[in-house]
Amino acid sequence: MEPEVVEAELVLPTHMKFKKVQMYEKYPKGQARVRWKHLKQIIQAENYQNYPPNEPNYVNIESPPSMQPCKRICDITGFKVGLKQTWQKIQCGNSHVGVETGHQRG
Amino acid sequence: MPFISKIQRQSDYSAFPSHHPIVIDNGGSYFRIGWAGESDPRVIFRNIIQRPRHKITGETITVVGDHNPALLKYFDCTRTGPRSAFDNNVVYQFEIMEYILDFGFDRLGADQSRIDHPVLITECACNPVQSRSKMAELLFESYGVPSVAFGVDAAFSYKYNQQLGICNNNGLVICSGFNTMHVIPFINGEPVYEACNRTNVGGYHITDYLKQLLSLKYPHHISKLTWEKVEDLKMEHCYIATDYETEVQVFQKGGKEAEEKTRCWQLPWTPSFTDETAPSEEEIARKAAFKEKQGQRLREMAEAKRFNRINDLENEMRDLEILLQRLKHVEEDDVLSILAKTRYTTKLEVESAISKATQSLRKAKGESVESVEKTDPSAAEKYNLINVPDEDLTPEQLKQKRKQLFIKSTSEARQQRKQKQIEEELERERKRQLEEEKRRENPEQYLDELRSKHRDLSEKVDQRKRLKTNGNHNSSGGVGRGERLNSSQRERMRLLTTAAFDRGKGEDTFGMKDEDWQLYKLMSRDNDDDDDDDQPDLDEAELVRVTSRLREIDPTFIFKAESGSSTAEAPHFRPLTKEDFQIILGVERFRCPEILFHPNWIGVEQLGLDEMAGNSIQGLLDKGRCSEERITNSILLTGGSCLFPGMSERLEAGIRMIRPSGTPIRIIKALNPIFDAWRGASAYAAAMQFPQQTFSKMDYYEKGEEWLKKYQIRYTI
Repeated sequence: MEPEVVEAELVLPTHMKFKKVQMYEKYPKGQARVRWKHLKQIIQAENYQNYPPNEPNYVNIESPPSMQPCKRICDITGFKVGLKQTWQKIQCGNSHVGVETGHQRG
Repeated sequence: MPFISKIQRQSDYSAFPSHHPIVIDNGGSYFRIGWAGESDPRVIFRNIIQRPRHKITGETITVVGDHNPALLKYFDCTRTGPRSAFDNNVVYQFEIMEYILDFGFDRLGADQSRIDHPVLITECACNPVQSRSKMAELLFESYGVPSVAFGVDAAFSYKYNQQLGICNNNGLVICSGFNTMHVIPFINGEPVYEACNRTNVGGYHITDYLKQLLSLKYPHHISKLTWEKVEDLKMEHCYIATDYETEVQVFQKGGKEAEEKTRCWQLPWTPSFTDETAPSEEEIARKAAFKEKQGQRLREMAEAKRFNRINDLENEMRDLEILLQRLKHVEEDDVLSILAKTRYTTKLEVESAISKATQSLRKAKGESVESVEKTDPSAAEKYNLINVPDEDLTPEQLKQKRKQLFIKSTSEARQQRKQKQIEEELERERKRQLEEEKRRENPEQYLDELRSKHRDLSEKVDQRKRLKTNGNHNSSGGVGRGERLNSSQRERMRLLTTAAFDRGKGEDTFGMKDEDWQLYKLMSRDNDDDDDDDQPDLDEAELVRVTSRLREIDPTFIFKAESGSSTAEAPHFRPLTKEDFQIILGVERFRCPEILFHPNWIGVEQLGLDEMAGNSIQGLLDKGRCSEERITNSILLTGGSCLFPGMSERLEAGIRMIRPSGTPIRIIKALNPIFDAWRGASAYAAAMQFPQQTFSKMDYYEKGEEWLKKYQIRYTI
C-alpha cells in the first residue's frame, strides 16, 4: 500500500477490536452472498394490509397525489408553457428555445 | 457552505463510563456519532462507502465516507461507485451499514472488546419492522451493545427547539432531508403519526435535476459536472423564489434584473494563439520541401545501386570473356581441368552465361532489349515428334511428344499475347493523337468535356468507396465480423443463416432434400468478386489519367484529393473564446429547488411541501385533536434542504393559500437545521429517564418482532 494512502488512513481496517464477529468471518467469500431485500420487497413482506388501516405505518404516511392541477413548465428553459402540446413528449413553449451549435467537444 | 467531514480519531473513549450513551444520527446524507450530552457530534462523514480494487495488488478494500480524490488514483474505481445503505430513507443494506458503523465506532476511539455503551440511533418515521430488527440484531450481535433505542430525527430536532423555546408543545415540524420530506404534527410534545406525511423528494433529487439541466445545456463540459461539484453549486447558488411565475417572467424579459440574478461559473481556460493560419502555410511548404528531399535521396540511392550493378555485370562479363579466350587457345583435355575451377562444365554454358550477362547489362543501362528468339533454330528439332503419328512411337517418345505439344502451345500463346499488346499500344497511340487533334481544334470544348468526365468519375469512385465503408458501418450491429466482410460475403452469410433457420422447427434438416444444395449455386453467383472489383479499378485508372491530363493543360484545375472525408467535418472554425468555457446559472437557480413544491416536475406524483403541511393540519383537525391556531403558530423548519434562501417566505405563502384566511402562521427555522437532530438526540439521551426508553438484547429476543413493531419512545422525558 502506498505510504500516503496508509498515512491518510483511507482504507477501513479489516479487524476491529470491538467487534465480536469480524466482517471477514461473517462474509468469508468477500462479498455477502446474501441478497439484501430492497425497500419494495421489505414493504411487501410487512403485510401492512393485515393491520388496521388507521394505524400509521410506512406506506400509510406517504402523501397522496396532488389535488391541484399540475403546473407545467418548458422542459428546456423552465419558462411557462404557452400552448398545451399533448402530442409532444416534452413540453415546450414556442420559439424561445434556441439551440447552440458550433461547440467543439473537448 | 459545503459540509465538512470530521473524521479525526477521538482519544477519550475510555474516559466515558459504560452507562454513558452513544448517540448516532444515521442520516441519508451524513452519519453523525458522538457522546450523549455534548453539543456537537464528534465524528461526521458522508454516509457512503466505496469498494475499489487496488490497481497493483488487486485486493478489494473499503473506503468509508468521502475522501481526498487524489488518493484514489491508486485504486481502480471503475467497477464500483459510491454506495449507500439506504433505499429511499430506509436502511436495507446491512453489510454497508456494518462498514459504516465500523468506521464510526473506530473513529470514536473504541478499543475494547465490545461497544459497552447504550446506543441511541435515529431512523425514519414508521420504519418497517424488518429494517428495525436487522439494525437491532447488528448492534447486539456484532458490537455487543447492551441496549438500544430508536427515534425519529425530525422529532428530536423539534424537541430540542422546543426546549430552547423556539417552538411550542403543539406544532408542526417540516423536515426536508436528503431523500424525503416529512411533515409531522406534534400534540402535547409527542408526534402524531396518524397525520404524518412523507414525500419522496429530497436534496438528492434537487442535485440530480440540476446536474441533468446543466448537462443538457453544456454537453461539452459534462466531465466537469460531477455530482459533488453540482451539489456545491446547489448549496451556494440555489434559492427558492417567492412566486415561481413572476420570477420566471423576470428572466424571460431579460434586462438588468435578470443579469443580476444570473451567476456565471468560469471554467479554467487558456486562450490559444491566433496566428494559426500562417504557420500552416509555412508548414505545408516545409513538408513539401522535405518530401522533395526524400524523393531526391531515394532517387540517388537507386542510381547508386544501378551503377553498382552495372559495374558488377561488366566485371563478370570481362572474366567470362577471358575464360572463353583461354578455352579457345587450349587443348580439349585442359578445358575440363580449367572449367573444373569455375562453375561451368561445358563451353556452351560459358557462352550462354556471357549472353545472359550482356542482356542484363543492356537492360540495366536502359537500352532496348532485343528479344532473343532462342527457340527458332531449335524449333524444328524440338517439335520433330509432333508430326509423327502416335502408333509409330515408343512410350518414351510418346511422353516426349506430349511435352513438345505443351511447349509449342505455350510458346504460341505467348506470341499471341505479345501481338495483342503491340496492337493495344498502337490503339492507345492512335487515341492520343485523336485527342490531341481535338484539343488543338477546340480547346475550350475539350477542356469542358474533360472536366465533366473528371467530375463524374470522381463521384462514382467516391460513391463506391462510401458504399463500401458505410455498408460496413451500418451492418456492424452486434457482430464484429460484419464490418470486415464485403457485401458478397455478407450475402453469403445471410443465405446460410436463412437456410439454417427456415427448415421446420427445432431440427436442422438442411440437406435432406437435393434442392437444398441449390443454395450454394445462388451463393457462388453472388460471390463474383471480380465483377465487383474490376469496375472500380477501371474507373480509378480512368480518373487518374483524366486528372493528369487536366493538370497538364488546365491552369485553373485544382485536384481535390480525399473529397470523401470533407462530408463529416463540422463547420466550426471560429476560435474558442472565454465565453465557451462559462457555465451560466440563470433560471436553474430557482427552478431546481422548486421541485420540493412541485414533485410532478420530476415525475413523483405526490404533494409538494406546502400542500403536505396543509394536508397534515387537515388530518389533525379531522380527528379533532387540536385547534388550528395552536398548530400553525409553531411550524418548525428543519433538515438540510431547508437551508435555501426564501424557503420560509414561500412556505408561508403556500400554507396561507391552503388554510382559511386569517389563521396565524408562524414559520421558524431551526437554530441549526443540520445538527439539531443530533443535538436533540444527545439531549434526550442525557436525560435521566433515558434508560427506561431503551430495550436490551434480552427484551428483543424474549418479546420478539411484534413487540418491536409497537416500540415507540416517549419524547417527553
